[in-house]
Parts: sequence; structure tokens; C-alpha cells
Amino acid sequence: MPIIAYQNVLQGLTVQEARRRQVIRLPREAPLEQAVRFSIKYKVNALLITGERQEGVGVVSKTDLMGAYYAGLPIDTPCEAVMVGPPLFCRAEETLDAALNTMRSHRVHRLYVAGEAPGLAVGVLAYPDIVGLLYRYCLNCQKSLRRKSGSASLPDRFRVREVMTPGIYGHQEDDSLHQVMEGLAAYRLGAVLIRDSEGLPLGVVSKTDLILAYKHAIPAAAPAREVMTAPVQAVEAAAALVDALKTMIFADVHRVFVYQDNPRNLVGILSLSDVARFRSGTCRACLASRIKLEEGP
Amino acid sequence: MAVFPFILIKVLDKGVLNLGLTAREVMDTRFFTLGPEATVAEAARAFEQAGRETGRTVFGLLVTGADGQLMGMLSIYDIFLLLRPKHIHIWGEMEDLEVSGILEAACGRAKSMLVSDIMTTEVVTITPETHLLLIIDIMIKKHIRRLPVLENGKIVGMVYFSKVFNHLRELLSS
Repeated sequence: MPIIAYQNVLQGLTVQEARRRQVIRLPREAPLEQAVRFSIKYKVNALLITGERQEGVGVVSKTDLMGAYYAGLPIDTPCEAVMVGPPLFCRAEETLDAALNTMRSHRVHRLYVAGEAPGLAVGVLAYPDIVGLLYRYCLNCQKSLRRKSGSASLPDRFRVREVMTPGIYGHQEDDSLHQVMEGLAAYRLGAVLIRDSEGLPLGVVSKTDLILAYKHAIPAAAPAREVMTAPVQAVEAAAALVDALKTMIFADVHRVFVYQDNPRNLVGILSLSDVARFRSGTCRACLASRIKLEEGP
Repeated sequence: MAVFPFILIKVLDKGVLNLGLTAREVMDTRFFTLGPEATVAEAARAFEQAGRETGRTVFGLLVTGADGQLMGMLSIYDIFLLLRPKHIHIWGEMEDLEVSGILEAACGRAKSMLVSDIMTTEVVTITPETHLLLIIDIMIKKHIRRLPVLENGKIVGMVYFSKVFNHLRELLSS
């Protein structure tokens, strides 16, 4: 009898089913200003940088753009000066498991889908796309509790406190954008909480806020309060996951802060991917998959 | 044979071969502009005003600098991109989620964004002498529905997909 050494809900699914066909790309000589604008406009965290034959030669992420801002590079610097390369590719027929393994081993959140010609990208596979696919898969699964109960919605078994990551990294409102960027880079975060002089939550500075500040020529020595987004989007630790999800969707953010007792007492952070994963789990196959995904980037 | 279309385009563009209609004949000399520092809320009002004044729905506005030079274009598509939620591919799957009011929330967020942050700067332009066939070729290849007309670097008009079609329709139906 064969021994099944490895099985999860992603088994049998391929990159083809989760990829996006639209690849946001820029030529290597395009200025960083354009890269910032494309990141904002298309709401993507990274852009594919291409050579003369449209082949992928590198990637410019929001982190790279933030690095350029930190280093004081002029906004008309060509993308190739800050790009990281070469881009990582996967194949459309590859399994999602294999693609996730590549993401984990290289500590990246996206892979480009290789076309026929060498280096040509015909799609992109981002980590949230896999989470979205997983959700759809579970929702339609014959073993789903939703189907069994005949209910229109999934049971909200989970509370925010069960899924959140405890602990908050923050900065003071007077801290410079330089300091904020150092913090974001050191802790590999997408955003930080900004507190007032009494330590109360005031706003959030994300990489998006920082690259917009770069484009608007705001000096990196400016205080954090100048570019922060306010108010802080927060949910109560005892709230149902669905309420946290709604807060994120309405604010168009992929993370919210979590408070205990009152909104001034922040105790953790919750990401959209975490919520989507937990709301998808209604059977053993999903639970196994969730454990696998938790090891992801 | 491979170079023929290129030669034809060159001839048409330089007006060496006079086959009739050029951008000058089909362009609207009345066009509407926005400043790059305008907000999306101000842009929406400008779209509304342009629609009222022209009697048709306007889908794109020129973005010009202080001295009138073309800096980019703002289309409805640019605004759609801004309104589209970041992670719609995740929550779009969540059929069981109640999201009434989300459109109002997205519009509320977009209002204060600057036109210069979302406009398209890679604008394809033509000259008043550009032939209608070349205009059609550009519109097909680049999926463009409106083309600014520049003469000596100055905007002198706009050629719209609908106007081009109207001219062709007359020729086709006669």
C-alpha cells in the first residue's frame, strides 16, 4: 500500500488557475517617478523591469523605491539603478505547491509566469492570489460545512484574537521619515503605527505613503505625521473575523490593528491573508493546507 | 513588402500623398484640460462640466502644465484603477460577505488623490497632418480612443474615435 507522504488542499492545482495575466512592467530606463506612479495606480507591490526584447531583467518593489528615497536618489533615476534581478519565474503548468516552495525558499511574494520566449512574462502569481484561490476552492468543496448546513455564509467560528499577530511596532509622530524607513526595513514590515507624545495611536505610515512622499518631493527628514494616514484602522480583539475583514475591505488596506478594551490600547495586528485563510478552513484538508501556508512568506 | 506599411505611413504623415482626410478635418478644436495638482474630486467635476458643454459623455481630459504644455491624460480608466480595491481577488471570492456601501467608501478615499499621481504620461500624439488611416492604425494598435493633436509642441485639438467613425460612416454608406 503506498504511503501518502504529502497531501493538502492545493494538490492538483496549478499556477495557471491562480495567476493574473496582467503584468505591470516598465522598461529599464523608465524613471523611478513612473515606477512610483505605476505602483500607486495599479496597486501592485512590484513591477517587472524589461529589456529591449520585453524580457524580464529585474524587479522594482515598493521596498526598492523606499530604499531609493532613503538613499536620496533623484526621482528621475532609471529603474535599472535600483532593480533587483533577475526576476524569478515559474511555469503555468507547475503546481501551486511547487510555486509556493519557490516563494518560500527565495523569500519573495510573487513569481512571474514564463512564456515561450526566454525571459518573457505572460502572467504573475502573487501570494494573495493563491489565498484567494484557496478560499474559492474551500467554498465550493463538497466537504464544506457551509454546504452541509445549507447556510448562505461560512460559520464565523474564529475571533480576531485567535488569528492576530501580537505586538506592535511603532514610531513617534516627530520621528523622521528616515527613521521610519529604517524601522520598516529592519523588521521587514509594510507599515508602522505612529503614536503621539503620550503614546496613543495617531496614524499609520505605509510603504505606499513613503513612495508617494518621494514622488511629492517631501524631504526624508520630515516628521512622520506629515505623511501618515489617519485614523488608524483597528478592530476589537473579541470581534468576529468577518468584522475585521469588512474593516479591511472598506479601508482598502491589507492589515488592521487590534485593540483590547478600547481603541487606544493596541495589542496586535491582523493581515487580510490571515483572515482569508482562516475563513476558508472548514474541513481537515483545509486545516492541513493552512498549516502549510502559515510557513509561507 | 515588409516595409510597405511603414513607407505608406510615412507618406501619409508627411502629406506627400494627398488622400483626403487628416486630423485637421476631424479634430475637435475645443478641448478640456486639467492641472496636475487637481484632485480626483475636481477632475470628476471637470468631466461633468465638459460633458455638459459638449452634450456628450467625456471619457478623457488632457493634463497640462502652467504654460499649457501637455503633461498627460486622465481617463475614466485611470479613475477605475484607483477605485478598484487592492485585494479584490481575495474578497471578491467571498460571496457570503456583505459589502454594501463599499463603492461610496472607495470614492471617498479617491477624492483627495492628485491627478498627477494617477494620470497616464505615455501619451501618443499626432499632428494636424496625420492621415485618417494612420489615426485608425494607431487607435487599433494602441487601443486608444482619443488622440491629442500637437502643432509645434502646442495642443491644437483632439481626435475622438467617434468623430473618426462618423467620417468613415459617411464614406461607407454613400
